[in-house]
Amino acid sequence: MYKPVIVRRGSGGWGGPLTLVPTEEKHKIVSITGGGIHPLAVKIADMCGGEAVDGFSHAVPEGEILAVVIDCGGTARCGVYPRKNIMTINVLPVGKSGALARFMTPELYVSDVKEANLDYADESSVQAALLSTEDVDAVHKREDLKRKIDAARAGQKRNIITRIGISIGQIVNKFYAAGRETIDVVIKNILPFMAFVSMILGIINASGIGTVIANTISPVAGTLPGMLVISFICAIPFISPILGPGAVIAQVVGTLVGAQIALGNIPVQYALPALFAIDAQVGADFVPVGLSLGEADPDTIELGVPAVLYSRVITGPLSVLIAYAASIGLY
Amino acid sequence: METIAAVANGFMALFKAGGETFTAFVTGIIPLIIVLMTAVNSLIKIIGEERFYHVAKKATKYTLTRYTVVPVLAIIFMGSPMCFTFGQFVEEKYKPAFYDAAVSFVHPVTGLFPHANGSELFVYMGIAAGVQALGYELGELAVRYFLVGIVIIFLRGLITEKIYLYLKSRDGRRKTQEAEHV
Repeated sequence: MYKPVIVRRGSGGWGGPLTLVPTEEKHKIVSITGGGIHPLAVKIADMCGGEAVDGFSHAVPEGEILAVVIDCGGTARCGVYPRKNIMTINVLPVGKSGALARFMTPELYVSDVKEANLDYADESSVQAALLSTEDVDAVHKREDLKRKIDAARAGQKRNIITRIGISIGQIVNKFYAAGRETIDVVIKNILPFMAFVSMILGIINASGIGTVIANTISPVAGTLPGMLVISFICAIPFISPILGPGAVIAQVVGTLVGAQIALGNIPVQYALPALFAIDAQVGADFVPVGLSLGEADPDTIELGVPAVLYSRVITGPLSVLIAYAASIGLY
Repeated sequence: METIAAVANGFMALFKAGGETFTAFVTGIIPLIIVLMTAVNSLIKIIGEERFYHVAKKATKYTLTRYTVVPVLAIIFMGSPMCFTFGQFVEEKYKPAFYDAAVSFVHPVTGLFPHANGSELFVYMGIAAGVQALGYELGELAVRYFLVGIVIIFLRGLITEKIYLYLKSRDGRRKTQEAEHV
């Protein structure tokens, strides 16, 4: 028995409310959170009469997905599913952010969701939800029409001066758009991370934790065997997906290693192998998402995830060795 | 009273150090990145993604280019995470290996092309900041990171491809056995 469910945003959240209307074909709640099915996904599936699925071990065809549950800190995943027009429920309080922020709309995305934010939907909101899907179709039709008009206009002949004027205008517009995109990324992604890293670094340096790190971790991280061990640990198949999201851990560790290099506790010629040692887990959390972006079949995703994770155990330490060899003569 | 003031001073010192780091980041890293990113973004808009598609589609056929040229160009032109959509032009059985190669390049690319992955700059920048603090130039580190990255994504592509094909053949055998039992 399927029941429609309303998902509202939590106190620190953004977007929504989403009305999930399960049907015979479309009733799966896919949890893409790493480390099994998120309890929220189970709860939603339970309420609406659907089925909760672990997106890492089972690939689900997009047509069967009612909604996805993610725990994205705001880099990539939060925009991937809205881009595919799939309703996205983030358990973390993250607003419109990341590389795909423009696809995140309140109709498709809701964040900081907890079990208390779930509710059964009444008849009127179900009607509204059905109506809004029709609206989306209407918008597509309008865009289609606009494209046809543009195409027709482009077909008309123009004189040389107009054409030069138009192409200069187009190029200038491209430069301007590029500048706007850049500032967007700086404000939405780079500056927030700098603020976060500065705070951590400041506390570590001023509180004396820095000295502890210098005395305990640096001697290990500053040798080839030490770095091989670090990359191996990062690549262990059940650890790598946890370390991956948003590369936050790799970035923090990178900054700490950088600080130790600046202090001379880690030799500067280890900079290159260190870049690979701390990054053996890159994208391990993102395999199912990345593969489905590449339109891989569900079967491919199911075996592709372990293939990538196992491969990292070999290629992680291997990359450190290659980088170590390649850093000869550097600095 | 004096103790309270001392505690307050110590507390503020924690964040003053952070503030100084932040100023150093903003004045030292941001201006260059903004101009560089704008330049590369404009170039990509002028060249157009379609032209890149045209070249890269052909290159997915050959093992050597599938795990080197294609992912590198995909990341430079489309950035992360959109570069993974390029997997749709890769043969089904090579998709996991292609993903592995592509995703392993999202950090090596940032030394030379920070626009490609603006939200994960600090894997490289964090370490580079330390090297810079010692007075070394970053050019060589960035170039070597990029080149070693290409070697590594190629190997990763090859190895993941082999592992995936092995898992798939084993899975195939299991499925036929199950079918025979039924």
